[in-house]
Amino acid sequence: MADPIISLIQILIFPGLIFLFILGLIFEWIDRKVFARFQNRIGPLYTGPRGFLQPLADFIKLLTKEDVTPRYVDKFLFNLLPGIAPVLPVFASFYLPLNGYPILHPFEGDLILIITLMTIYTIIVFMAGWVSTNRFSSIGAARAILQFLGFEIPMFISLASVAIDSASLSITYIADHQPIPYILLQPLGFIIFLIALQAELERVPFDIPEAESEIVAGWLTEYSGPKLAFFRLSNNLMLVFGAGLTTAIFLGGGSGPILPPIIWYLIKMVFVVILSTILRTVFARLRIDQVLSGAWRYLIPLAILQLILAKFLAVLVM
Amino acid sequence: MSTYKIPVGPQHPAIKEAFQFNFELDGEIIVNVKPRLGFVHRGIEKGMELRSWVQGIYLSERICGICNVPHTTCYCIAVEKLHDVDVPKRAQYLRIIINELNRIHSHLLWLGVLGMELGFLTFYMYVWRDRERVMDLVELISGNRVTPSMNFIGGVVYDITPKMEMAIKKGMDYLEERTKYYKSVVLNEPTIKVRTENIGVLNKSAATDLCAVGPVARASDLKTDVRFDDPYSSYDEIPFNLVTYSYCDVFARVLVRVDEVLESINIIRECLDKLPSGPIMKKLKRTPPPGESTVRVEAPRGELMYYVKSDGKENPYRVKIRTPTLANIPAVCEMLKGYHIADIPAIIASIDPCYCCTERILFIDKARNKRWIWSHSQLRKYSLEWYENGGRR
Repeated sequence: MADPIISLIQILIFPGLIFLFILGLIFEWIDRKVFARFQNRIGPLYTGPRGFLQPLADFIKLLTKEDVTPRYVDKFLFNLLPGIAPVLPVFASFYLPLNGYPILHPFEGDLILIITLMTIYTIIVFMAGWVSTNRFSSIGAARAILQFLGFEIPMFISLASVAIDSASLSITYIADHQPIPYILLQPLGFIIFLIALQAELERVPFDIPEAESEIVAGWLTEYSGPKLAFFRLSNNLMLVFGAGLTTAIFLGGGSGPILPPIIWYLIKMVFVVILSTILRTVFARLRIDQVLSGAWRYLIPLAILQLILAKFLAVLVM
Repeated sequence: MSTYKIPVGPQHPAIKEAFQFNFELDGEIIVNVKPRLGFVHRGIEKGMELRSWVQGIYLSERICGICNVPHTTCYCIAVEKLHDVDVPKRAQYLRIIINELNRIHSHLLWLGVLGMELGFLTFYMYVWRDRERVMDLVELISGNRVTPSMNFIGGVVYDITPKMEMAIKKGMDYLEERTKYYKSVVLNEPTIKVRTENIGVLNKSAATDLCAVGPVARASDLKTDVRFDDPYSSYDEIPFNLVTYSYCDVFARVLVRVDEVLESINIIRECLDKLPSGPIMKKLKRTPPPGESTVRVEAPRGELMYYVKSDGKENPYRVKIRTPTLANIPAVCEMLKGYHIADIPAIIASIDPCYCCTERILFIDKARNKRWIWSHSQLRKYSLEWYENGGRR
């Protein structure tokens, strides 16, 4: 971090802003393509080789659309929130050891910082729906908060059990000190984390806050044009960040034979994205009360069980 | 906590056609529902009166895109009744075949739509892929994928050759296998089950009171099916089972429709085996003699009724149409009460609504046990007054 030019390049280009942006678009393409193939469709095809540039084309198209601000919304927040939303996953991703070492200097406790950022993201989603003053948006916003109550807790407990096992709260440390990846040591925690991540990313079966056939687009209903583009972008970046965090915590980060860490990291991230897409493919959407009761009745007890097992494991390793 | 209102429709992703349900909600729970019709009133009945008897077939075909075959069947049988003739046996069997193909196509379409309403896109894509097979068969027979224009006053237009027969039988084998697979998906997939079981319950007495028809009534354990109760077009010669379930919920409606697809496949096989030889059309006069007739047929959505009156002239004097969706709207309003917002799409979809068929006006005052129909002049007077008073209710 000594040379300011190198750190600037790291932040802006690789593995910083532009890299994450491109990765977000690529992951959206992978997600859409795999989703389509599972459904016996072809998926994006015409823009670029095998429709590779379709997410970029969608993004640019939305940017060129008319920028509408409805009359009765809170204009300041309504225009501000789409700008803030993509910042959070990017900032959080700066603590992921994408290239073997994170862009921002890791410290003992950056896991907690990242958890905080994820929580703030949910609150931004809630506010985005709430300031729209649309009835469908308000319902979507309320659902986003309810879902957050159900899923953040098991997610954090499953992260905590890994932290206990590795005796560290630093993502980089956890990623680097995994002789056996935690996906094998704590498979239960991994499954819980993946399910909670699916809810965090608002993907089927937990796309309740933006359930299309029920409440139009939920908290997103009033957003169109560039604002929608930025929310979609932030969702893609959340996918990148979620896959990256899963890789760092459960799959041993960039560690692997022969290939450089960044390649290993990307391969593992794609694996997580495809897992998430498969989950999205095989389920119908659940109802908010079913999701909450499921989360509190099954996921949280299982997460606590995993925490206890992790404690035992830590004692055994000692 | 006070209640609040949300409108669902006329433009809403859950309802593809222009129709409005005004929901009164307490949190996420539905307290009251008010349906509002009239967005797509197209003046079809008046249009019938302005067209000749033959043109009426093609207009009736366009009342509903999905269940167009029962509409033409019903109209043609009604006009044939005025002529007081029976169409040839072969034509009757061909009518059954095309009607059942239409039923399979409609039910599979509906099954896919349900998957979409539940957010289960994979199911939707698979079902619609297999639905293509039925549409190919309809195209093979008639040259059109969706509107076959098969029926004509006095018989049917297209014949089924032995080669087509083979193709249809092959298609039926494929569809039977796929439909059985979808039935197992519906029965075993937990997310579908939790979203449909004990949702939108309409018990047997309520279904009777609210005059539910078709699969909705059969899912509430009412044994009602025009094909059984009042057989038309040689349905009495074909053995088939009346599918009923007693769960009374959305899940039962899914199962009724899936089982009906299987029954339809058997009916088509039976018809192809028994298909009599002979002409497919009986030539009739252009205009039927004066008289009136009422015909009911079982459309995929339920009982469809046509009343046709002739005064011996070039055009029908009056054609009155009662579509199944209209009959099911009071039932769906009852079903919705007490459930969540998230259940709205599934429950509304469970009656397989088709609003563009539905735009008619009939008043029923249940408290005073009285019913009346407004004439055109009354409606006109009401609308003029309504707009004079500012056009708001």
